[in-house]
Amino acid sequence: MRHLLAFICLLPLVSWVTAADYYEQLNLRPLPLSALLASFNFRSNTSFYDFESHNFRYFPRSLGQILQHAGTRELHLRFSLGRWDAESWGTRPWEGQREGGTGVELWAWLESESDEEADEKWLILTNALSGLFCASLNFVDGTRTTRPVMSFQPEGDHPTSSIPNLRLLHGVLPKEVVCTENLTPFLKLLPCKGKVGVSTLLDGHKLFDSAYQSMAIDVKPICPEDGDCVLEIEQTIDMVLDIERSQRPQEIPRPPPSRDLKCDTSKPYHAPNTCFPLGYNASQEWSLSQVFGHPMKGTCPLTDPEIPPVCIQVPHSRSVYTSAGVHQMKNADGRSRCFTFDSEGDFDIILPAPDADDTGEIIANTTTTMTTTDDELIKSPTPLIYAERSLMGHGQERGGVQTILTNPSQDTEVEFIYMESLPWFMRVYLHTLNARLEGSRGKAQPAMIEDIYYRPAVDRARGTQLELRMRIPPASTVFLTYDFEKTILRYTEYPPDANRGFDVAAAVITTVRPRVQSVRTTTLLLNLPVPDFSMPYNVIIFTSTAIALAFGGMYNILVRRLVAADEAPSRLARAKLGKLIEKFRSRKSTRK
Amino acid sequence: MSRLISSVFFLRRDPRLLKLPPYLSLLCIIAGIAWLFLLPLNDYSRRTYISENALLPGQVHTYFGGSDQNVFRAYKHEVHALIGKNNSEINDHLENHFKSIGLKVGRQNFTYASSGQTYTGENIYAILQAPRGDATEAIVLVAAWENDKGELNRHGVPLALTLARYFKRWSLWSKDIIIVIPPDSKTGIQAWVDAYHDAHDASRVSSLPVKSGALQGAIAIDYTQEHRFRSIHVVYDGINGQLPNLDLINSIVSISGGQMGIPCAIQEMRKHTDKYEDRLRTMLRGMLNQGLGYASGPHSSFIPYHVDAVTLQPFGEGWQDEMAMGRVVEGSFRSLNNLLEHLHQSFFFYLLMNKDRFVSIGTYLPSAMVLAANFTIMAIFFWVKSGSPAPQDGPDSKSSPTTTPAERHLFLPLVLVAMCQFLGAIPLFVFNHLTATMLSPAFVVVAALNCALPFLISHILASYKPSVQPFQLIKCFSLLLLGMFLSALATLNFSLSFLVGLLAAPLTFMQPCSNPVMGHTLFGVLQLISPTTVLYSASAYFHIDIGSVLKEAAFGWNIWGMYTPMVLWCVWWPAWLLSSVLVLGRPVQ
Repeated sequence: MRHLLAFICLLPLVSWVTAADYYEQLNLRPLPLSALLASFNFRSNTSFYDFESHNFRYFPRSLGQILQHAGTRELHLRFSLGRWDAESWGTRPWEGQREGGTGVELWAWLESESDEEADEKWLILTNALSGLFCASLNFVDGTRTTRPVMSFQPEGDHPTSSIPNLRLLHGVLPKEVVCTENLTPFLKLLPCKGKVGVSTLLDGHKLFDSAYQSMAIDVKPICPEDGDCVLEIEQTIDMVLDIERSQRPQEIPRPPPSRDLKCDTSKPYHAPNTCFPLGYNASQEWSLSQVFGHPMKGTCPLTDPEIPPVCIQVPHSRSVYTSAGVHQMKNADGRSRCFTFDSEGDFDIILPAPDADDTGEIIANTTTTMTTTDDELIKSPTPLIYAERSLMGHGQERGGVQTILTNPSQDTEVEFIYMESLPWFMRVYLHTLNARLEGSRGKAQPAMIEDIYYRPAVDRARGTQLELRMRIPPASTVFLTYDFEKTILRYTEYPPDANRGFDVAAAVITTVRPRVQSVRTTTLLLNLPVPDFSMPYNVIIFTSTAIALAFGGMYNILVRRLVAADEAPSRLARAKLGKLIEKFRSRKSTRK
Repeated sequence: MSRLISSVFFLRRDPRLLKLPPYLSLLCIIAGIAWLFLLPLNDYSRRTYISENALLPGQVHTYFGGSDQNVFRAYKHEVHALIGKNNSEINDHLENHFKSIGLKVGRQNFTYASSGQTYTGENIYAILQAPRGDATEAIVLVAAWENDKGELNRHGVPLALTLARYFKRWSLWSKDIIIVIPPDSKTGIQAWVDAYHDAHDASRVSSLPVKSGALQGAIAIDYTQEHRFRSIHVVYDGINGQLPNLDLINSIVSISGGQMGIPCAIQEMRKHTDKYEDRLRTMLRGMLNQGLGYASGPHSSFIPYHVDAVTLQPFGEGWQDEMAMGRVVEGSFRSLNNLLEHLHQSFFFYLLMNKDRFVSIGTYLPSAMVLAANFTIMAIFFWVKSGSPAPQDGPDSKSSPTTTPAERHLFLPLVLVAMCQFLGAIPLFVFNHLTATMLSPAFVVVAALNCALPFLISHILASYKPSVQPFQLIKCFSLLLLGMFLSALATLNFSLSFLVGLLAAPLTFMQPCSNPVMGHTLFGVLQLISPTTVLYSASAYFHIDIGSVLKEAAFGWNIWGMYTPMVLWCVWWPAWLLSSVLVLGRPVQ
């Protein structure tokens, strides 16, 4: 009875908490080259008191218990696939802060007194997360774990008293293939579980067909100026869809019928059987339900109804058609608009092709150049730094890594931290580390590498960790190269799979000035010398056969005697043997 | 047992044993040649088979066609409009086409110099990033603007553009696809592959602005003919006789012949009856190509970097159109896309008799090895012979064979052999560094020197008043080196080793003659099989000017790192020179 009373008293409070404690939004941004960026963001908070007393409301219990058990104060988990095309698409979503290298990346601040304790807790954490997310995170062992010094800073507000005891550990699994089995547990952590609201659009087929996707989970304490500290879990999914590919009704891209081809009719040779195709970047009409396979189903009732669940970033000059009952709000910045709608019913929007508004049909884009006009798309800002990393050299013995870092800005110097965590079988020669600057304007350049943190590898125990604090002057490119030697592994150390090579984790580039931004390179495929594994097998078979034959033959020759039947020792021999035995016996008896 | 050992000792002293090696040597030569001629028989060659199960050739439907043909026609018009323009203008247009498809485009300048000529150009290439890929692996489609005969690749380039546009629509690629359009088939692609692996000379070849992952395979299209084709010619020879993995050829043969119904041909054998003669002819053509070590198409430059590659050339009059060719490439790319690991399952050393019949290294290698062994046998023979004292006239010489060997004076023979061996570097250097116009006159000079040099050396040698022993030792060292080089070479380039071994086989039997007439006759015979004569007669037989042969050789040496000229001048020529000196030699009794 008292419980019920308390419940009734608290009810209004609960509803207020509900409004503030869960938030979800989908941000759509059309990109050049007929791509569409969809950023899903889900956030829920829980007070520390509730968290400590195992009172989970929106914070997922499964994850919360793991964090408590492993003493994790801040957690960042990333599942990524594909590449972000920075040249065409500009800055990464969330300034790259919600991005991971290809595969699975995990870093966390653990509260512990010593490094050994941190390692133990890290082991607990990785194993538990491995079970929760169906990922091979349990393979993040000592060889794949690093303790970055400069690259990562805690995002949350940690009490100053606990900071000396926070230890950062970082692990990457570059070979892990992210797939549906990782998405399902991700959705289960959400309060609305993908049944209603923005998350209904998250479907494995579409998500993993995208050109780039990154699933992120960030847990961190937040202490607002006015109020108690809360623990915030933020789940983010960024995906870049190829509009043409995702709108296709069938999986197989059969050539379209000739009448459906979009041709450049201005070409002199244009004919019914000759068609110069229009540029790939020619914007086309798309709708949410076509791109994601189905419309969005309602809104999650746990969110604040004031916050629009869907926003799209297109210039206000472009018209957007919506399904019935949708209210459109244009934001004051002229770049985006948001939509609110009923909590029940389907939601769909259609973005017509820019030229289709007036005439109703697509006007042939006579130029095949790359220009996209400003009234078509919101131009995303240029990233602070472009990074590209590739392997150099060939052969089985040595190799090199080259990273090309470009500062596209004309006037701003960029300071950043470049971090590599390399497997132990890649023996880096640090003395070959070389940074070459190109495109500087003839001024005397300050030293580009300002600080090096290097933790050499120990065979079979830990990998190389290299962190460089660097500076690139405006409008220049730095070629960062170093050489390495390939190790010959013991034959049990090769994975039992097909020998594709070993993946080397992405380098993490974190800019420090002018603002914090994060960029990751692609992973590398390292080919190590591989023995012919069928050879030992053959050797075993051959030696076994040889020994069997030789032994059998030799034994035969040594032991067996071939004699004719009439030559065989018959009774005579037996009689002799009998005599011998008798003699022996008699001797025995005499002794007695 | 003791009886056996004593009989061996007895046999060792038997003077008849010393008569045996020349016959053994001759037997080796005959066996080596005969072995080769056995190979095309059914009992010695095998049918090809797909070793790498992941390839699954011909197991997928190909969809290239339909309205893509309309696009192809348009690209063909675009490409034809570019005929006659310069390299950079062509690349500007191609860059626009690639960019409108949505690919990342890179351009690369290169300059090569050989025989006083400079070869400059600009490559253009586009990377189709695998939609869900991670840039760790890539496969390459090459469509050179001109093929190695200088003909315009009039269908290949538009086909590559159309295929690029078509491939972009698929989301299944696990590897990036790189489309490379070099201005020619010889230099451009070499510059590109070198730069891709950072093995380029930065002063002549610029670095690539964008790169992808490790190359897993490459297919080049050489489609020059205007009309429809009947079959596809698969060119597979790489530089220095290196070959792509047999699985790649098998997959293409299987896709083209089995799935698409387009017959395949190899080694210019347009009609192949699969009888002994045709198999032998195919094999010998393959061996000649392998032995010359010359690049046979744009694919050749990939093979030294362990990237398996072939060139596909449609030929003949038939009903197959460009779309069929495109489907072959599509099917092959789908197979390569399936690969989990680099092609390694099947053979890298093989001789093809027909598109579906081959012999592997274990079967053919003994042929060249036995041929090389004949030199070693004779070398050992002469070493033993040089150690036995000169036969004494008299009845007691036979009855009491001396056991103490005669002292060998090694200095003179060693110096002479070493000098001749290093002398080979001079023509190598001269031919690789002269300008093209100077090559023919230089060849005449070298040929003339070839006649004069043996006389000169033997004249100098005569001043030392040598006995028989130095000549035996000279021959011993010369043949030992030849045998060693050839047997080592046989594992790298079987055909070159076999050809050189065959042409050098008569050298085994050359020795000083007491009769000057006989000596000069033998010298005349040697002149007929001298490297210069063979080079000249071969070029005359194929109606190629000797100057251009030397120019191509220098080109191969300077740009591709082709080592055939080195084998010719530093292995064969010294052995020949020493043999010529021998036949002119007059040992002082």
